[in-house]
Amino acid sequence: MAGLASHSVLSVSNLTKYYGNFKALDSVSFTVDEGCVYGYLGPNGAGKTTTIRIMLGLLKPNQGEVQIAGANPSKDPVQALRSVGYAAELPVLQAFFTAEQLLDLMGRVFGLSSQTRRDKVDSLLDLVGLKEWAKKKIGRYSKGMVQRLSVAVALINDPVVLIMDEPTIGMDPEATAHFRTLFTNLSKEGKTIFISSHLLDEVERICTHVGMINKGKIVFNGPINQVLEGFTQRWVVEAELEKVTENIVTSLKALDSVNDVRVEENKLTIELREKKDVRGEISSEIFKQQGVLLSLNLHKITLEDAYLQALKGGQ
Amino acid sequence: MVALRRISTIIGYEWRRALAQKKVLALIVVTIAFQTLVMVVAYELYQSVGTAFLGSDQGFAWVFGVLQGQSFFVQLIAIVIAGGSMSEEYEHGTADLLLSKPITRVEYLLGKFLGGFFLLAIVGALITFADVILSLGFFGAQSGLQFAPLLFLAIVYASLIFFCLSFMFSEVFRGTTLAILLAFTILIASSIISPILDFLYGISSRALPTWAATSFPSFLMSELITARNILPASDPGALAQAALIIAVYAIVSILIAAYRLLTSDVTKKRA
Repeated sequence: MAGLASHSVLSVSNLTKYYGNFKALDSVSFTVDEGCVYGYLGPNGAGKTTTIRIMLGLLKPNQGEVQIAGANPSKDPVQALRSVGYAAELPVLQAFFTAEQLLDLMGRVFGLSSQTRRDKVDSLLDLVGLKEWAKKKIGRYSKGMVQRLSVAVALINDPVVLIMDEPTIGMDPEATAHFRTLFTNLSKEGKTIFISSHLLDEVERICTHVGMINKGKIVFNGPINQVLEGFTQRWVVEAELEKVTENIVTSLKALDSVNDVRVEENKLTIELREKKDVRGEISSEIFKQQGVLLSLNLHKITLEDAYLQALKGGQ
Repeated sequence: MVALRRISTIIGYEWRRALAQKKVLALIVVTIAFQTLVMVVAYELYQSVGTAFLGSDQGFAWVFGVLQGQSFFVQLIAIVIAGGSMSEEYEHGTADLLLSKPITRVEYLLGKFLGGFFLLAIVGALITFADVILSLGFFGAQSGLQFAPLLFLAIVYASLIFFCLSFMFSEVFRGTTLAILLAFTILIASSIISPILDFLYGISSRALPTWAATSFPSFLMSELITARNILPASDPGALAQAALIIAVYAIVSILIAAYRLLTSDVTKKRA
């Protein structure tokens, strides 16, 4: 990955946040190096948005701190956020502005000159596919269009760090693909990208690093190849049978190489004890129990599997 | 300088936000309409009962008209503008957009406050100007017009109390309806008890809370001109106390709002 460097531009250390008695974040720590595309994963209510809002200085942590480019956004937002772009999850933008007016206002906040603002507004609206809607009030936009405009707002200052909370939610498949390419291109330009997402496929495609959070605690943090490697200790064989019987399941469970068997209609998910292809052994056992095998695949681990296992481990 | 630029950006933003609300524009129109009505009624009374209505003060009809509009409608506009200033951003979820940018919360607060207050000042100028024109039209040549800018400034200053109270409620409770309702209740309550407070002041010379909010412009004008049918008797002590009370209320309200903003989370929806 181009632009990977050794020093961190975003550092979150020991972050703890309470909402009343509810502990939303529990000593969350991670760092994001310059040029990385960091995927932040977790189920609903895990603490992803809370982490991001603390990173932006919108929420105050009960404990711990955030450093962006060496500054704490809660204490020095001007220094910390001047090189940050942020696109919120299902953003609400000022409905009385047009896209042009909103981007111009954001450019002013960042202190861009009027000529730079004009150029930026034009190019960004073109980039997010809203040029024809530039002079229309945001109140008339669809959710997907607001989301796209939110990404344009995040890019107005040519940020070094781009923080995006579920950036493609509400977008149609074509726009989603377009924005995935955009994020990949931005990372190739050396921008550090922090993406919170439910879409594991999206994260697997574009991220170099992954952080997984569950119930306010980080359950994994590291390079994406490490997460896949780390959770491939147990291989899985998926078998589709004409009919699954109790005998087949019992005999498979009795095999030394099998750790566990899960049944879903006529499909078996067989978790192996070791990284070893034992499909021959499994198929002969099924035949022995007079089962009719329709398909048998050694399942390669995906980020989704790793994610689900990490969540299971964190509970 | 950079901080001033950011504050001025928020001021411009706040103007557009406030003017985008139809209720503010509607209130301005209603205020002008009310003043026109006051002038028409005053003129009709003047025509039917001769000099008995304003007595010898018809030359100061413009002062009468401005004070009528100021005592209630300008305060109401102040309450509506300030009541939504902070809270609507939380209610709509738009506070995130600005506060996740390189801008301090103090700059944000100042920009919002000054933006709303400057807008109110423009409304005050518009009302004063409209009344001067109406008075000239209905009652002919007017006296003391050189004091019109001073009366305008007094109106703007007097509106600080309810503007700041409403602004404080808006930030503290983060609910527009509640903020407007609370400030409006205080305005109505102070109008009701105002004669009692005036009486208490008359016998004790001690100012009481909210007493000065709507009376400051009258006190100022009574120091500048003599119009007994329109204005109270000159009382420099009352004027000074009124000015002090307005300042204290405004400063305390702003400090409470600032404390709330600086020490709490930026909420997305009203709690």
